[in-house]
Amino acid sequence: MSTTTILLQALLNGVASGSIYALIALGLSLQFGVMKIINFAHGSLLMIGMYLAVWATRVLGVHVLVMIPIVTVVLFVIGFFIQRWLIEPIYRKEATREPLGVLIFTTGLWIFLDNMMLILAGPDYQSLSGPWANQVVIFGNLIFSYPQIAAFVIATLVSGALVLTLRSTRIGRIIRATGQDREAASVLGIDSAKIYQLSFALGLTPLGVAGCLLLPLYPVNPFVGDVFGLRAFVVVVLGGMGSIGGAFWGGILVGIMESVGAQLMPVLVTEALIFAVFLAVLYVRPAGLFGLEHE
Amino acid sequence: MLARSRALTLLAAAAIVALPFGISNPYALSIIILALLYAYLALCWNIIGGIAGQLSLGHAAWFGIGAYTSTVLFLHWGISPWIGMLAGAVVAAAGAALIGTPCFRLRGAYFALATIAATMILRILVENSNEWLGGPRGLDVKLLRDAPLQFQYTRKEFYYAIVVALTAAGLLVNRAVMRSRFGHYLVAIRYDQEAALALGVDVQRCKVTALALSAALTAIGGTFYAQFVLFINPDEMFSISLSIQIAVICIIGGRGTLWGPVLGALVLLLVEEAARRVTGGMAGADMIVYSLVLMIVISVEPRGMLAILDRLRPPSRAQPAAHGEVP
Repeated sequence: MSTTTILLQALLNGVASGSIYALIALGLSLQFGVMKIINFAHGSLLMIGMYLAVWATRVLGVHVLVMIPIVTVVLFVIGFFIQRWLIEPIYRKEATREPLGVLIFTTGLWIFLDNMMLILAGPDYQSLSGPWANQVVIFGNLIFSYPQIAAFVIATLVSGALVLTLRSTRIGRIIRATGQDREAASVLGIDSAKIYQLSFALGLTPLGVAGCLLLPLYPVNPFVGDVFGLRAFVVVVLGGMGSIGGAFWGGILVGIMESVGAQLMPVLVTEALIFAVFLAVLYVRPAGLFGLEHE
Repeated sequence: MLARSRALTLLAAAAIVALPFGISNPYALSIIILALLYAYLALCWNIIGGIAGQLSLGHAAWFGIGAYTSTVLFLHWGISPWIGMLAGAVVAAAGAALIGTPCFRLRGAYFALATIAATMILRILVENSNEWLGGPRGLDVKLLRDAPLQFQYTRKEFYYAIVVALTAAGLLVNRAVMRSRFGHYLVAIRYDQEAALALGVDVQRCKVTALALSAALTAIGGTFYAQFVLFINPDEMFSISLSIQIAVICIIGGRGTLWGPVLGALVLLLVEEAARRVTGGMAGADMIVYSLVLMIVISVEPRGMLAILDRLRPPSRAQPAAHGEVP
């Protein structure tokens, strides 16, 4: 195989994994955009989604892609109650624009969920293997696995649907209005507490989809969320905090950096490089590469 | 009143000195040493995270720099870790100035994220290093048994005495900062950065100085830990969970207060140890208790346990402004 083919293959693999990163980051970005809170438990909630998918698939014996709507709904409900019962009381006590109390609370939630799952499921990696996961499609010199193709297609569709919902539906406009100016929105009769519950819950739905898509590609263990959670933060910052479209392109970019970088240098160096790019972007352009500079 | 508080201080000092003689179990003494080390680290964190109000989630970086600097100097050049400890502090302070300058252009969550990223980069670099830094497997501190001049001793009381001194020094530094003009600048930055700037406080310089001081002290704790366990590896030294633990202890106890970090460390480690006993050392049980305490405290009183204690005290004896408040 020629170098060009190898690099092209790596590029397209990067786009496929990047579309999942984008999906995960989308939820984080939505929560930050509306509530200005940083949810450090995001990765752990993805991990919960992955375990739900593993267990349900084993018990029900269905295809993991069939589980997508179910896991998504479960995470939506979990998100609603986390916001309603846990975050809201803390959020109400704080007046500052970026509430540190919530940040600290979600840090606690992150550690709690990881270790809870360690006790429930044990430290070992679990994966979903089936004949489906190993099938491939060949285009000339390029090879793609079924899970890769499913990940790219479904992640892109769901991201697109989420962006469209926020851009052009009534509820999407209400959510964005609350994010821009809570007081003005409440003057117009919007119940911001309700919108926050909805936004937080909505922010977890991409995790249900991403969890199911990741499983055939990546085994799950209780600490898998740390990896993907941190990656999601990198993506969100690259794309611009709170910018939904930016999060998508940021995800693709990180996926490509990781995949192409791994062909050119040791994997760990690629990892360090991604964080270095992240720091550089934070420093030079805190609004992100694709974000609008309105702050 | 004064006589009574002096008597109390003397009593406390006597108890601290007598403690290791009362405990014959080396395991129990180890737990106490670690609790005090955490109290010290939380006190270090308090300078930047509490008094100045900048949420750092990357203090493991300074801890690791301290541990690695003294260990490398000792292993490759035979320099005593006592000197290596000071060298580590200098390296950490320089690193803090280097990293702090870009990171402090950011605020709140952005700053927290930047500190995590910087720690990750450091960990990856050390993991990728060659034999000289030990690579992913880490470094063993050469065992010398009883060599106090080389910061080693077989008896745990040696380390107990050092960590008590460190904690006392941490308290004194915190008190000195709180009482100084510099400390008041930091508090002003914590409450309202724009207002502080408008009043002529050099915000950037104050933050970098506070971080450098905090980092240098944290590095000393890193050297102590390396000498106490005689083994270091990048995974443990530069871990996010260590960074979080340091911050959490201070936050739970009461950020920006003098005794909050000590209270946080003692309560949390006792609770953690109890959890370990009750569950028979089940992996993860201690961290669950840890995170539960964090979530409950932050929900009840974001200012921490010290503020909860203040609330419980009868109002007649409550001393206004006894502890700094964090918004």
